[in-house]
Amino acid sequence: MKSLLNRSEFYLALLILLLCVVIGSLNPHFFALQNILGFLKTSSVNGILAVGVLFVLILGGTPDVSFTAIAQVVEYVVVLATLRWGGDIAVGFFIACALGAALGAVNGFLIHYFRVTTIIVTIATFNVYYGLLYVMTGGGVIFVVPRFFKDFGEYLILPTTDASGGVFGLSLLTVLWAGALALGWFILRRTFLGRSILAMGGNEIAAERLGIRTFWVRMFVFAFVGLLSGVAAIAHTAIVLSAIPNSIVGKELEVIAAVVLGGASLFGGKGTITGTLLGVLLFAVLRNGLVLLNISSYWYDVAIGIAITVGVSFSAFQQLRSRRSKVNVIVAQAA
Amino acid sequence: MKTPLVSHRSFVDAPLIGILIAVVVLMAILSPVRFLSPLNLESMAYQLPMLALLSLGMMISMLTGGINLAIVSAANLTGIVTALTLKLLTGGDSASASVAITLVAMAAGLMSALAAGALMGFLVAYLEVPAILATLGAMTLIDGINVVLTRGYTLSDFPGMLLAIGNGAILGVPAPFVMLIVVVLALHVLLARTRFGFDLYMIGSNLTAARYSNIDTRAVLMRQYLLSAAFSALTGFVMMGQFNSVKSNYAQSYLLVSVLACFLGGVDPFGGVGRLSGMVLAVVILQAISSGVNLMRVDPFFVTAMWGAMILALIAINHFSGRWRRSARLAEVARTLGVEQRPPPVGER
Repeated sequence: MKSLLNRSEFYLALLILLLCVVIGSLNPHFFALQNILGFLKTSSVNGILAVGVLFVLILGGTPDVSFTAIAQVVEYVVVLATLRWGGDIAVGFFIACALGAALGAVNGFLIHYFRVTTIIVTIATFNVYYGLLYVMTGGGVIFVVPRFFKDFGEYLILPTTDASGGVFGLSLLTVLWAGALALGWFILRRTFLGRSILAMGGNEIAAERLGIRTFWVRMFVFAFVGLLSGVAAIAHTAIVLSAIPNSIVGKELEVIAAVVLGGASLFGGKGTITGTLLGVLLFAVLRNGLVLLNISSYWYDVAIGIAITVGVSFSAFQQLRSRRSKVNVIVAQAA
Repeated sequence: MKTPLVSHRSFVDAPLIGILIAVVVLMAILSPVRFLSPLNLESMAYQLPMLALLSLGMMISMLTGGINLAIVSAANLTGIVTALTLKLLTGGDSASASVAITLVAMAAGLMSALAAGALMGFLVAYLEVPAILATLGAMTLIDGINVVLTRGYTLSDFPGMLLAIGNGAILGVPAPFVMLIVVVLALHVLLARTRFGFDLYMIGSNLTAARYSNIDTRAVLMRQYLLSAAFSALTGFVMMGQFNSVKSNYAQSYLLVSVLACFLGGVDPFGGVGRLSGMVLAVVILQAISSGVNLMRVDPFFVTAMWGAMILALIAINHFSGRWRRSARLAEVARTLGVEQRPPPVGER
């Protein structure tokens, strides 16, 4: 019980429950199964992106901000490619994963080779990827996407008909999100690679001296982020059924805020899949609640800002405290 | 503080002057007649201050090893708060506000920027949040507040006095350009001749050493973010005058360009190194490129991609030249000591 009270996930879960009770009591429609399954479907894009962000934050340093630009580029390329040459959802996934991983690997290479902080490199690559996408496409919107995106987005597991004749069920996109979470958990907790990522986040020099090949671990993490951005791009296309060049970019801070609130330390070496899931859920519930309660969505941006600011302050404060207590121990031993 | 911290070796800026000449010649060839026309030079003099003020604010943060990602957001906040105060005090007829009311509104705008600076200063100095994360949070928060304040709309109609800051001319010289010159001179005195300026460089070189040298590092960092925010506020006033409107998301691409200006101007992002002359040359170079490609009607998104690519190129150049310089220095030390050269330590990040 004591260990439960010490975990930030516990408080986050309590906060979500509290929020659910408040929203649900003001608008009972919140607890309708359709509503819950609905926001679990629409949150899958952010949820999949968040798993990648978690990996970057655990690796340490500063957050990657280019993953939305990667997803945006992938979305466009996949739609254009399948429109021109045909294909099915498997082809779409293949192109998305390959291109996403390649663009992510470019980030990883630049960051490792030039030893520059992640955010500076990714602000630059964000602008390169996004700017070139706009130049090449002329900012055009594609309103007609191949049929298989619609089939994929609307496929329901256990479809049920409600009283008014509408059909609802568990979306395949939610399953995709669950799959990304499971894969992330498996890599982090059950593989040597995952231990290496955590070790590098804790102390990169120590990890290097232990024989961990830091270059390849970093390359993996950034390629993995790119790959998940590609998967998220497919999920996004299946929801909005169009390719608009500025529909994903701008979400990056929201996703980072969710992961930070989920307890991932911005100093590296710390973070859990459970926390990331809860962080994304908190924002999903918050956004859904603002809509159901008719509150202006402008406040949502302020909420994200507060979440990031409080999140970084909290992890900084914890680190400050642990450093002080270590000093106290040393002083006590010396005395 | 008699000894200037920055050595006055001549020709330190030679590479930058070379780049500037090359850029001007290139642009003059690519768009002959128009690039060197008095009209274009005048429009450059009007546009330069905005970029320069933001870049200088960024430079101040980088000198202590920090960064200020909220620099554009705080400039927008200043404009929005000033515009809303004007509206409130004049009952909606902002354009005919008296001088006193305009000054009060501008003071309110300045205070809002300083509040943002104080928040960042508190997070960085007292909670020891890494600057990049603290200012990222502040940026998101301020952007959110900007949207809430304006409801996403554009506010306009400002009194002539405010417009003059961005658009006016003093003896034929653009007013914002005159202001920029005054600000640069003041900043030069501050950085090179005052205790505060000295402390900024010391903190950037080695925070712990600075603290043990009896520098109140927290107070200096706090003042540094307040100063950086004051540059945002100045930019905010210039923007109000030039655009004759304020909005929550103006000039967002300038964040990237101001970081680029610092890299180009030779400011070390890890702190402690950076000269004002380099910065001035860097912003003139970037403005010349920006005006030049604008004359050629290049796609603005291509320009954005180009700024990003330039940052990556500068990172690469700094990396290689830094490594050469470091290894040359190590070799020199080894020679003087007569010892075998050891490989540099792993993992400097």
